Amino acid sequence: MAVLVGLPAVDYAFAAGDEPGEYLDRRVLIWNLFYKMMTVAFITGSVVSGTIIWQVWRFRESHPKAKPTSYEGTDW
Amino acid sequence: MGNHSNWPEWIYVAVVIALMTWVGAEAWEAERLVEHVPADAETIIVTGQQWFWTFEHEDGTKEIGELHVEVGKAYKFEVMSKDVNHSFNIHDYVVLMDAIPGRVNTVWFAPDAVGEHDIQCREYCGLIHYNMRGTLYVTEPTT
Amino acid sequence: MTLELQKPRPIWQIMFSTHHTDVGLLYLISSLTFLFLGGSLALGIRAELFLPGSQIIADAMTFNRIFTVHGTTLIFLFIIPFASAVGNYYVPIMVRYKDMAYPKLNAIAFWMIPPAGVLIWLGFADFTWYATPPYSIISAPGPAADMWIFGLKILGISSVLGALNFVVTILKCKHPDMSIGQIPLMAWSFLSSSLIIMVAIPTFAAALLMLLTDRLGVSGFFNPAMGGDPISYAHLFWFTFHPEVYVLVIPAIGMMYEIIPRFSRKPIYSYSSGVFAFVMLSIVGFSSWAHHMYATGMSFTEKTVFMVGTLAAVPASAMHVFNFVATMWNARIRFSTPMMWAVGGIALFFSAGAGGVVNSAMPLDFTTHDTYWVVGHFHLFVMGTIAFGSIGYLYYMFPYVTGRMYNETLGKIHFILSFIGTVLVFFTQHVLGLYGMPRRIYDYPPIPEWIAMNQIASIGAMIIGISMAVFLANMIHSAGKGKFADTDDPFGLGGKYYYPFEAKNPSH
Repeated sequence: MAVLVGLPAVDYAFAAGDEPGEYLDRRVLIWNLFYKMMTVAFITGSVVSGTIIWQVWRFRESHPKAKPTSYEGTDW
Repeated sequence: MGNHSNWPEWIYVAVVIALMTWVGAEAWEAERLVEHVPADAETIIVTGQQWFWTFEHEDGTKEIGELHVEVGKAYKFEVMSKDVNHSFNIHDYVVLMDAIPGRVNTVWFAPDAVGEHDIQCREYCGLIHYNMRGTLYVTEPTT
Repeated sequence: MTLELQKPRPIWQIMFSTHHTDVGLLYLISSLTFLFLGGSLALGIRAELFLPGSQIIADAMTFNRIFTVHGTTLIFLFIIPFASAVGNYYVPIMVRYKDMAYPKLNAIAFWMIPPAGVLIWLGFADFTWYATPPYSIISAPGPAADMWIFGLKILGISSVLGALNFVVTILKCKHPDMSIGQIPLMAWSFLSSSLIIMVAIPTFAAALLMLLTDRLGVSGFFNPAMGGDPISYAHLFWFTFHPEVYVLVIPAIGMMYEIIPRFSRKPIYSYSSGVFAFVMLSIVGFSSWAHHMYATGMSFTEKTVFMVGTLAAVPASAMHVFNFVATMWNARIRFSTPMMWAVGGIALFFSAGAGGVVNSAMPLDFTTHDTYWVVGHFHLFVMGTIAFGSIGYLYYMFPYVTGRMYNETLGKIHFILSFIGTVLVFFTQHVLGLYGMPRRIYDYPPIPEWIAMNQIASIGAMIIGISMAVFLANMIHSAGKGKFADTDDPFGLGGKYYYPFEAKNPSH
């Protein structure tokens, strides 16, 4: 995966910014990277916190379907 | 404990590693592009001291607290400090470089629109750190 | 000896005691005192930043001193001593030994903390907890700065002695019937964090001495005017203090490993992955220190190395989260106060970690470095994860320290208010950083977005402040007048608690 993403990046890096008057825009580049990462972070975050919130709701002891774990009553 | 399959955890760890590899690769690519200073960039010497910025253009003109640049040119800042650490920052153009006494750090940018932007110090430098500010004026090209 | 407040003793008996629970109690009380002292400074900072211009703090110098002492206090005088308190109470029990390995050394390590705290608070230095040269050498006013240096020096020795004691207790004094693979995960967390302390702290101790002689003008290690290099201080500092981040977080995770299975009424999902992740973190933690220094003019290669080093710590942290989630799966969870704090801490641990990943991605440093993003990020760790885990554990050990129960309703109110406050303050600060507001500023220009977000953050801080007042009232009242706890099973969960009643050693 690193290779797949990395190789085109190397090509691009050597090609960019060498013609006078044509400069790459660091704002665009950096904020793009930021938004890409935020997209991934928020997706991952919603999965993780969604799981935790669901667990907290489902496995609370007052839930109608709550059942004792197999360890209860033992000296684990 | 013990009598469960470990596959969910292995898959999970693999996903995390893949994500981190992706983050690293993306960041590496972007950093490479950002660090590539154009060959025809004009040099501006930026000097930080408690508590103001001084700018020296290639033609020798000096400005204090204000910086005038032109649209469409690339500028390379050579950032240095006279006393303590500062950090030269034009947030609107995502320019940031520490000014460390005894060192010359470089960072570049190419303004693309006429306007005024804040320049500030982002590294703690003492009493008036909060007000070590300046203004960047981006003007139409003169030539 | 264990039920301190049920069997009143003259205070000097506790003060001059070397028994691990007595030293633990001393650690506990002093760390909580500093929590409230440092926290009230934070409220002062937030009140000042509520609006642009000067509010309640007269000048920039006072403000700079306040945030310096705020950071120093909460890191060195609250979080670390709190972990020592918990470790003192529990580690000997967990390895089934009568006391810490070196009881006198243990008491000495504790008694170094009050003088250090006095030095830091009477000095009230202004050079941030990072004490960065050349500012700290040529500009910071003495004697405050020198007192800070001596204070930190003493604290460094104290934590090395404490760490040494934990390592020897765990490795050499554990019961011969127990293998190292049988000690509880919380004991593993203390073993890992103590090893990190012993490797990391000496570097900073050396840097502090060099800083002091630089201030005296007899050397120029970090002073460019004398041929020194301020960047070398940054390396020495972060070589200690990036691993130190793991020193702070690992015991808190260890405490969650004690709380979460207990209240889930299930053993931990995978003991071995917990151990692996602790060991992994304490090794990989040493490969990422210079990610704090991307903007100091590091080369592309250096940055890449430290970015990879930083990202390498993520899988291990993520394994802990997996372990917690898997433990709670199919459980029957009782949400008493300690469990609420632990689960809240895990939820915020993810956000803090994700922010850290973004910080370490090299070019994003241009947008986030030294802005409020960073403030929000590390506060999510120290408050959202470490303090949450610690406070949860404090509620968990309360019945055994005092023999009484805290007030459950007030505990839950404390958690809910703190959680809301933490989210309001620190998530807002992330966004504020993206709008470019630098850290450590006394005043800011009246940019509407900055004002709005600072106000949200200040309101959040007040909510945390209120919750902490509830906490204090609950602790003081319940310690003296609370209901007596069922000391075998105070939370009604069944199973075997690591409570030190089994380790009575009255002859000590």
